[in-house]
Amino acid sequence: MSVATLGHDVHGDADQLYLEVRELRLQGFLLFLISDCVLFASFIFAYLYLRNSGQGWPPPGIHRLDVAFAAWNSVVLFGSGATMHYALENYKHGKWMRYMGFLLATIVLGVGFLGGQAYEYNHLIFGEHVTWGGSGIFGASFFTLTGMHGFHVFVGVCYLTVLVLQSAAGVYTRGKYFGITAGTLYWHFVDVIWVVLFSIFYLI
Amino acid sequence: MNPVIIERLGAVIGGIVVGIVAFYALYKDWNATGVENQVFKLMLVLLGIGAILALLAGLNVIGFTPPAKGV
Repeated sequence: MSVATLGHDVHGDADQLYLEVRELRLQGFLLFLISDCVLFASFIFAYLYLRNSGQGWPPPGIHRLDVAFAAWNSVVLFGSGATMHYALENYKHGKWMRYMGFLLATIVLGVGFLGGQAYEYNHLIFGEHVTWGGSGIFGASFFTLTGMHGFHVFVGVCYLTVLVLQSAAGVYTRGKYFGITAGTLYWHFVDVIWVVLFSIFYLI
Repeated sequence: MNPVIIERLGAVIGGIVVGIVAFYALYKDWNATGVENQVFKLMLVLLGIGAILALLAGLNVIGFTPPAKGV
C-alpha cells in the first residue's frame, strides 16, 4: 500500500468515525430533549389536572394574567428561535459573519425574554401579591413552570455564549459543527415549550 | 401612547414577521432528509403556530387584558 493510499484511508476512516460519533451524539441529544419534554409534560398535566379539578379558575382573589405583555415577550422568544435557525443555515453555507450576527441576535433576544419575565415576576409578586408559596395551586404552578422554563432559557443563553467563543476560536469547521446543531435544537425546544406554557397560562 | 397598545403592536408585528420567517424556513427545508431535519421541521411548525397565537393575542382575539393597565 502506497503512502498516498494509506493517507487517504486514514482520512476516510476518520471521516467515517466522525459521522458515526455524530449520529450517536445526535441520538443522545434527542433523548435528552425527549426526557426534558417528559419533565415539562408531567408538570403541565399536573397543572391542568389541578386547574380543572377545583372551583373556578383562576382561584378567588387572583386576577387572570394579562396577555398583552406576555404576547410581546413571547414574540421576542419566538423571534430568537428564527434567528437561531438562520444562524445554523448561514453556518452551513459558510457565511460566517451572518452566522455570528444571528447567533448574537439570538443571545440578545434570549436575554430580553428573561428580562421580560423578571419584569412580569416583579409585577406579580409586588403588584398583585401572587407568590410561589402563598397563592395556592395557581402561584405554585405558574412560578414552577415558568421558572423552570426560564432556567432552561438561561442555560441556553450560556450555551450560545460558549458557542460564540468556540466559533471565534475556530473549534467548528464547515463539516464538523455538531455543537451548533445541538444548540439550535435546544433553542427550538425552549421555544416550543413556551408555546405550550403561553397557551395554558395566558390563552385558555 | 398606552403601553398596552405598544405591547399589542409589537406582538402583532413580531408575530407576522416570525410566522412568515418560520413557515418560509419550513418551506425551504421541506425536502431535507435526516433525523435532525425532521425534528427541525416539526419545531418550525410549532414555532409558526406560536407566532400565530401571539399575533391573535396581540389582536385581542384570544387571551385576556384587564381594563386597567396590568402586566
